[in-house]
Amino acid sequence: MSREITAGGKTFIHQHAAHCESGVASALFRDQGFDISEALVFGIGSGIFFGHLFFVKMVGLPITTYRSQPGAIFRKAGKRLGVKFVTQRFRNPQKGMDELRRLLQEGKIVGMTTNIYWLSYFPNRFRFQFNGHNLIALREIAGGFRVSDPVLEHPVDCLAEDLERARFAHGPLEPHGFMYYPQSVPQNPDIKKACILGMKDTCNMMLRIPIPIFGVRGMRFLAKKIKKSPHKLGFAEACRHLANIVRMQEEIGTGGAGFRFIYAAFLQEAAELFGSAELIDLSKEMTAIGDIWREFAVMSARIIKQRGQTEDTFDNIYDILMECADREEDLFRKLKDVVRKLKA
Amino acid sequence: MKVNEVPQDITYYEGKKRACYALNDEGKYVIVPSSGWSAEDVVNGLAVAELAANLEKTRQEVLKGLKSPLAYHMERRQMTPEILAKTVGMLSFRVRRHFRPDVFNRLKSAVLERYARALALTEQELKSVPGMSSEERLKTE
Repeated sequence: MSREITAGGKTFIHQHAAHCESGVASALFRDQGFDISEALVFGIGSGIFFGHLFFVKMVGLPITTYRSQPGAIFRKAGKRLGVKFVTQRFRNPQKGMDELRRLLQEGKIVGMTTNIYWLSYFPNRFRFQFNGHNLIALREIAGGFRVSDPVLEHPVDCLAEDLERARFAHGPLEPHGFMYYPQSVPQNPDIKKACILGMKDTCNMMLRIPIPIFGVRGMRFLAKKIKKSPHKLGFAEACRHLANIVRMQEEIGTGGAGFRFIYAAFLQEAAELFGSAELIDLSKEMTAIGDIWREFAVMSARIIKQRGQTEDTFDNIYDILMECADREEDLFRKLKDVVRKLKA
Repeated sequence: MKVNEVPQDITYYEGKKRACYALNDEGKYVIVPSSGWSAEDVVNGLAVAELAANLEKTRQEVLKGLKSPLAYHMERRQMTPEILAKTVGMLSFRVRRHFRPDVFNRLKSAVLERYARALALTEQELKSVPGMSSEERLKTE
């Protein structure tokens, strides 16, 4: 946690967050005097998900996602809490940067969607072409901006040139300089009602999407695919695919175990809010499932590192993923029943 | 995951730390900064090594005169011909054609400048790759 002064003379408290989108959203809410944790925003915005998009390729490898699509947390959390956002996109990069400078001079802090490759303050290993990273600009400084990137521990400086490239990068999910700031925050937002909406939505997304690559069925689909992969693709290629899945699960912005721990944190906070013992149990179960996901990552890393010289095989991976799927299915079914009984 | 189980293995985040959610002694979730995890290092290392190997392959091809330096610089920025084409405002088949050294060497300065701006390079840098002798550099000019 570190303090920072905005152009308007207000104090901004930077908090380290696991996920960029929920981190930015909760920081913007906090700046408006509405104190809410990252985990609550993540849960209310239905951030947790699973999907294996075998037909969408990034660097030649299929995408496995542990989260809902970029932008959804922010949009859903805003709607459910009744926060009105001003959002803007630009055709002309120059206009986009001018408008940002103008807003910062007014003393506002502004959230933005950027391409992570062009943000040179990140370690090189994490820079790749992905147009869905969110951060907050705090104030203008000589040659650039002071930005609060929630996945970093402290605010950093960002060159104006870098930021312009990042905001107006091309490729899939082009941000077009997307920026946003809250216009008004309700006096007493109904957090309980928002939590219920968020949890219901999550249950539906995990259990009821009638396409077998999403939700718990997506996990089973992936498990079967992994089991067959060494025969189908050869060992080296199967390892590449497996490594990519684990990368998506653990790399920056997940809080560990592909967002399972942050969701467990959300369930814990919700349990306190509602005074529900059942939600506490579900939170514990979610933690246990997260630990299995971590085990999956460790086992995959062993297979990849030792080139098949361990007792671990792709069949074991299949078993572990199926266990995850079964337990998550059970958890979300229970959550659905619990939510029905909760009163806002 | 408990607080004391949060991996602090290696520091390949270049000194930066990432946030992990973990349970403290009272069973409450807190955010704990992690400096790296060996399992993550294996999978990330594989991806990084692969990118580096591909880049090196392209560099060798450029040195042999099979591809233009543009192909190298595009790969260095982790772009695909489609992304680069959109950034410079051309059609992707035209960008692909510019990977041929003979076509690339005839490009006008205005086109080169568009590429240079899109890839955040100077025009001079765009025309060469690391390891190119000064003679070869003259040839491409």
